[in-house]
Amino acid sequence: MKFILQVIAIFALAYIAELFLPWYSLAIAAFMMGYLLKSRANFLAGFLAIGLLWFIKAWTIDANAATDLAQKVALIFPVKEKIWLMLATAFIGAIVGGFAALTGALLKTEKKKVYY
Amino acid sequence: MLRKLEKGFYFQALKPKLYMKVFKFLLCFLITAGLIYLLDNSHIVKGNRLPPLGRFLDPFHGFWQNIEAKNDSIPEQPVIPGLTDKVTVVFDSLMIPHIFAENDADLYLAQGYITAMHRLWQMEIQTHAAAGRVSEIVGEVALESDRSNRRQGMVYGAEKALMGMMKNPTTRMMVEQYTEGVNAYIASLTDKTLPFEYKLLDYKPEPWTPLKCALLLKNMAKTLCMGDKDMEMSNALKLYGKDVVELLYPDREPVGDPIVDNANGWKFKPIAFDTIPRSVPEEYINVKKLPASDPTTGSNNWAVSGSKTATGAPIVCGDPHLNLSLPSLWYVVQLHAPGTNAMGASLPGSPAIIIGFTDSVAWSVTNAQRDLVDWFAIEFENDKKDKYMLDGKWTETKKVIEAINIRDKETFYDTVLYTHWGPVTYDEDFHAENNLVQHAFRWMAHDESEELMTFYKLNRAKNHNDYLDALNHFSTPPQNFVFASAAGDIAMRVQGKFPVRRIYEGKFILDGSKTTNGWQAYIPNDQNVQYKNPVRGFVSSANQYPVDATYPYYITASHFEAYRNRRINTVLNESKGITVEDMMKLQNDNYNLKAAESLPVFLSQLDSTRLTPKQAKAFEILKAWNYINDKDSEGASYYEAWWDVLMPLTWDELEKNKITLSRPTTYNTIRLIREKPDLTFFDIQGTPEKETAGDVIRKAFALSVNDIETWKQEHASKDTTRNNTDEPVKWSMYKDSYIGHLLRLEPLSAHVLTGGNHDIVNAHSKTHGPSWRMVVSLEKSGVKAWGLYPGGQSGNPGSAHYIDMLDAWCSGKYYSLLFLKSPENNHAEKTITVNLNPATK
Repeated sequence: MKFILQVIAIFALAYIAELFLPWYSLAIAAFMMGYLLKSRANFLAGFLAIGLLWFIKAWTIDANAATDLAQKVALIFPVKEKIWLMLATAFIGAIVGGFAALTGALLKTEKKKVYY
Repeated sequence: MLRKLEKGFYFQALKPKLYMKVFKFLLCFLITAGLIYLLDNSHIVKGNRLPPLGRFLDPFHGFWQNIEAKNDSIPEQPVIPGLTDKVTVVFDSLMIPHIFAENDADLYLAQGYITAMHRLWQMEIQTHAAAGRVSEIVGEVALESDRSNRRQGMVYGAEKALMGMMKNPTTRMMVEQYTEGVNAYIASLTDKTLPFEYKLLDYKPEPWTPLKCALLLKNMAKTLCMGDKDMEMSNALKLYGKDVVELLYPDREPVGDPIVDNANGWKFKPIAFDTIPRSVPEEYINVKKLPASDPTTGSNNWAVSGSKTATGAPIVCGDPHLNLSLPSLWYVVQLHAPGTNAMGASLPGSPAIIIGFTDSVAWSVTNAQRDLVDWFAIEFENDKKDKYMLDGKWTETKKVIEAINIRDKETFYDTVLYTHWGPVTYDEDFHAENNLVQHAFRWMAHDESEELMTFYKLNRAKNHNDYLDALNHFSTPPQNFVFASAAGDIAMRVQGKFPVRRIYEGKFILDGSKTTNGWQAYIPNDQNVQYKNPVRGFVSSANQYPVDATYPYYITASHFEAYRNRRINTVLNESKGITVEDMMKLQNDNYNLKAAESLPVFLSQLDSTRLTPKQAKAFEILKAWNYINDKDSEGASYYEAWWDVLMPLTWDELEKNKITLSRPTTYNTIRLIREKPDLTFFDIQGTPEKETAGDVIRKAFALSVNDIETWKQEHASKDTTRNNTDEPVKWSMYKDSYIGHLLRLEPLSAHVLTGGNHDIVNAHSKTHGPSWRMVVSLEKSGVKAWGLYPGGQSGNPGSAHYIDMLDAWCSGKYYSLLFLKSPENNHAEKTITVNLNPATK
């Protein structure tokens, strides 16, 4: 449950951050939510959240595009089909998101029960 | 002391688990930071520059944001500091802006802003190219071309042009306002809205300057009037002698209609000087010359008078042929302010409209071929080259150190010598390693000038006098200005700053030790080749020899056109009751006059009984061909393939010689084949036999049929839908015309299937062609115009308007241009209106 909440939180915070800040602001979003909502699979949470965010955004832009620039860029790289470019986009975001979330989670020390 | 001890104790007491945690955190943090660094910077992988992947692929700011949505999006009502009043811009369905301003200053500021909105990257890269600064962006691959541009004095010329612009208050206002507009747009850019190519190459635009406007005009001059053959002609003179030079490279070929035929009508007293001797160089000139612009670059324009048209109104037509590229060379715009309402093609990077019409007149240009380049042999005092001989004195050279910044490398320093004449382009460090004498480059476009004033005035012209007055400001690159007015006048004027040349002056290398060998005077504007309302009812130009033999000035050039002009004049002579559609048809005319004149001669040399089956088939196709280079024509493919082999095979000895030489023209080659088939040049080098023109023709035929067969096989293997190699070889497919993106990126370029070729009115060769087609009917009830170009208004490959005019252009169709009187939407077409607002104080 906490995992899903963490994914949604990273997704939402990164989305808002990217409206105002450069691309690497997604790392700050993932880091914060890795720390605050630490789950059992922090890397996966960051990876999935940012991967989904970037994939959906790229896919939406392409679905509504006036021209097939995505396909042309795919050929420049060259990866033949634009779906690979979208997946590469998602992966690049995801890997940064994953490590950022993990870093955040690692900063947090588990609360130990302290007895005096 | 105690504390220290405590601390030490504490650390020692730490559990290994915590060490591990700190280590894991740090490792993870470093990986994240490292990834961000790696993905936020560009890297060279296997020689190719990869864009910064994170920044480039980020769908919120990266290239995905350059993909425009289906519905046109234009920034709404931007506030632009520097505007004095509100400016209204109406974008029509082709994304052509119609700019309505309350004064000239706002008009040109808005033109700069709006043009940059669609073409900023192109504007900057073209001016960077002219300035020899592309290495800054793409690295060492551009060093050679950067050095070339600097050594040709492109910046030196642009600085002079800028001085001219700044002296005249009107042109100064134009470039300063335009610059302010471009910079207002640059200031509005964000990571998200940065044009695609900046993201791909990972750099940012720098501020625009008036010098960049000047560089852009010099770039055009380089394309159009830097051609010359002085070194080649001097070598030919030394190698073959005077008679052969006259035979191979006559100044005036016995062909065609000059632009202006006014025999014995030149009633002025020409400026005259004593002749200078034709000097034969002591040694051959051994220079690897920089590639000249394609000699098939040319243009058509004509105007027919009302007496020949269906409506009784004059019609002006123009189609400048240039290297076709993307983003498109031209940007169509309407500019409206008190005192001016003009529309037509503008050059991104320059204010005003270059080819177009107002509500009373229309004009277009073709390149006026004339030699405006001279090379002067320089005698240096010693190897230091600090001084050179000029008028009996050792005169100091000026050493300019060009610093070329190269991306990711150390700056390259190149020393260029400047003399009285201009820069020494080629020396022991550049393209002339084994040359003995060095030469200085004199080019008309290095002189101060004020071309923009011509366009300022043409954009406001009402009649023929206004046109003449406007043209008086125009120097380089010289153009044949066609003109017509709604009042009924038609006219043609070959306008430029032309030196008064003595016979043979400029055709060969000149002695650079005497200033009197340079240009002494210029042909006065009113003595330039021109006429108005000729009896034949039309005026036309297609880069041919400009004037009849009674014109009193010596004219020489690197080449003149021989075919398009005659075809245009034949059609116009025969036509009556001309409609706009007739003119569009003529602009797209694919009749190959060169083939009509040469193919029967070529075919007569073939012995049909001694051909292979493939050759026999080619022979039949050629015999049945109608001389029309239509898209689907097979005869055109065989003819052009034949010609493409025949021309170099004929002149193979010129290429085998190590010294710099040039080929005779197409027309002269065909003439010599017909008239002098035994000429020694027809002997193919490296064979024991002595060949004549007939042998060369037969050999070229056999080779060209092989070329076609090879093409068929390659094509069939590439295209799986065509497994039969016996399918016809269609001309459009064989020609495979290509409109390349300026970065030479294949996916951003376009292959198109069209007819035509160089030497044909529809002059669309593989890479060059009609870069703008315009037809204007000057009706008293209102000027009507049609036009389009092979591309689109937007330079953004992610825009619907990147190449939206291309299909219509390929099929010879036209768009009716919306010419508005006011910004109010009282027309049928769907438009978007944007207000540019001045900043409120």
